[in-house]
Amino acid sequence: MRLAAIPLSAALLLAAAGCGGNSSTGTPTPAAPGQPDKVAAGVIAIVDVAPIYLGKQKGFFSGRNIDLTLQTSQGGAAIVPGVVSGQFQFGFSNVTSLILAKSRGLPIRMVSNGVASTGKDGADFGGVLVKADSPIQSAKDLAGRTVAVNTLKNIGDTTVRASVRKAGGDPATVQFVELGFPDQPAALAAGRVDAIWVVEPFVTAAKAQGARLVASNYVDAAADLTVATYFTSQELIAKNPDLVKRFKEAMAESLAYASAHPDEVRAVIGTYTQITADVTAKITLPAWPAEINKASVQTLTDLAVQDKLLDKAPALDELLP
Amino acid sequence: MRALHRGLSNGLLGAAGFVALLEAAPRLGLVPQRYLPPASRIAVALGEQVRDAAFWVALLDTLQTWATGLAIAVAAGVAGGMLIGSVPLLRELTASTVEFLRPIPSVALIPLAVLLYGTGRTATLLLVVYASFWQVLVQVLHGVADVDPVARDTARSLHLSAWLRLRALVWPTALPYTVTGIRLATSVALILTITGELIIGTPGLGNEIAVAQTSGAVPAMYALVVVTGLLGVAVNLATRSGERRLLRWHPSQRVAP
Repeated sequence: MRLAAIPLSAALLLAAAGCGGNSSTGTPTPAAPGQPDKVAAGVIAIVDVAPIYLGKQKGFFSGRNIDLTLQTSQGGAAIVPGVVSGQFQFGFSNVTSLILAKSRGLPIRMVSNGVASTGKDGADFGGVLVKADSPIQSAKDLAGRTVAVNTLKNIGDTTVRASVRKAGGDPATVQFVELGFPDQPAALAAGRVDAIWVVEPFVTAAKAQGARLVASNYVDAAADLTVATYFTSQELIAKNPDLVKRFKEAMAESLAYASAHPDEVRAVIGTYTQITADVTAKITLPAWPAEINKASVQTLTDLAVQDKLLDKAPALDELLP
Repeated sequence: MRALHRGLSNGLLGAAGFVALLEAAPRLGLVPQRYLPPASRIAVALGEQVRDAAFWVALLDTLQTWATGLAIAVAAGVAGGMLIGSVPLLRELTASTVEFLRPIPSVALIPLAVLLYGTGRTATLLLVVYASFWQVLVQVLHGVADVDPVARDTARSLHLSAWLRLRALVWPTALPYTVTGIRLATSVALILTITGELIIGTPGLGNEIAVAQTSGAVPAMYALVVVTGLLGVAVNLATRSGERRLLRWHPSQRVAP
């Protein structure tokens, strides 16, 4: 996750150098008559992307003449350069990473919703946890404390600050440290940090070792926050709008199917992650609404500007689908 | 032979002791079981892995990346070393560059590899080839420099052709060095293959370790780490036996009577 920042800066370098990588691969080889389009999508092997795996399994993509290959990367930010350079036709990334990439002039655009907060305080797929005997009782008490997040200057610290702000604490005094999600429950148990911000399955894992949830930061940041989306390059939108349209339709069907069939979602998670079945049965699933919540994207942009992740907000009408 | 047997049984005893320690330490609560499961739990996870088709695909991916990278590095290292080593001017011209490039840790090239090749196999291959190429090249250079001057002068006065000199004089002298270089390169190539998969996300065992880690599947993660260790041992044994066979004639491989 920490390394995720490197490929992003690599892509920025690429964009700055004015060479969009191997642009000839930016569009999939035009399908011969009767042949499906070969499409590679860059995803992360986490719970959030279950709908696209389920949709592929159910034939929602092949039924639209899309021969979909899913490639896992280590982080959302690693996928952005992959999409810009044309290695992937579509990618999955959190909204803050996309806002940051857009503000630096990368030619990308959202195509479909990816994953959203459940909107239920105390029952979301991500949250801030403390040790059972910690004096921290609410997000307000996080002021002056150390909180672990998977990536600094991204969706984690901005939304945790939003939680602290909402609870009436001073977000400027929260100390954030960068630590991969898998390492955080151990760091909390050992007392190396005062609080951790994790997503499933580590919310469940941390609770199993006695940690206590003090804030649902996605819920506090905005109502029904859109956390991540699928996106593509502007080049592909210009060159093959029909493929983008079909991908979008297949994603909409996949998201709707995943929302309606949580048991099948839990089953498909075991096929592309190593999360064991007993853990999959317990985790809180995120929400997969069909549409991107545009107001929440605006909120994340405002938070990014407020926390000085970027100097100037990008034109959101060029980022939103 | 008896010494060999004793060495082998002592080695197995040592390994058994290590496994026992790995079983006992978590069970006695010396380390948290959640983060370091006992050896038996790792063995169960390993059993689950080998029944999963995805594991074998990942293993093949790793072997393919490793073998491809190693083959490129060895071919380039041997050809380059022979050429540079045989031409004194070339050797002087390249010496400083080689000494500058060689110590660059391959992992430092990860951002460059991702920039050039994305997250596919080629990116990891770049790391593998870069790291193992120098091992071979430098050994070949030493080997070529080690040719006996008297033999070299004799060959020259006999007007042997350049090809014959290379084949009958330089190659046999350089071969033990080259084989050492290849042996070093096989281990280095495996390390870089796993590193690339783990960090860049190229398909293979390293990527499976990363997926197990992000899934919070601790025993599965250790099981995969054990597999990479076994792979390292297997690769080392294979190169050692290949080395013995190839250099049967060489004094260094003769068993003391």
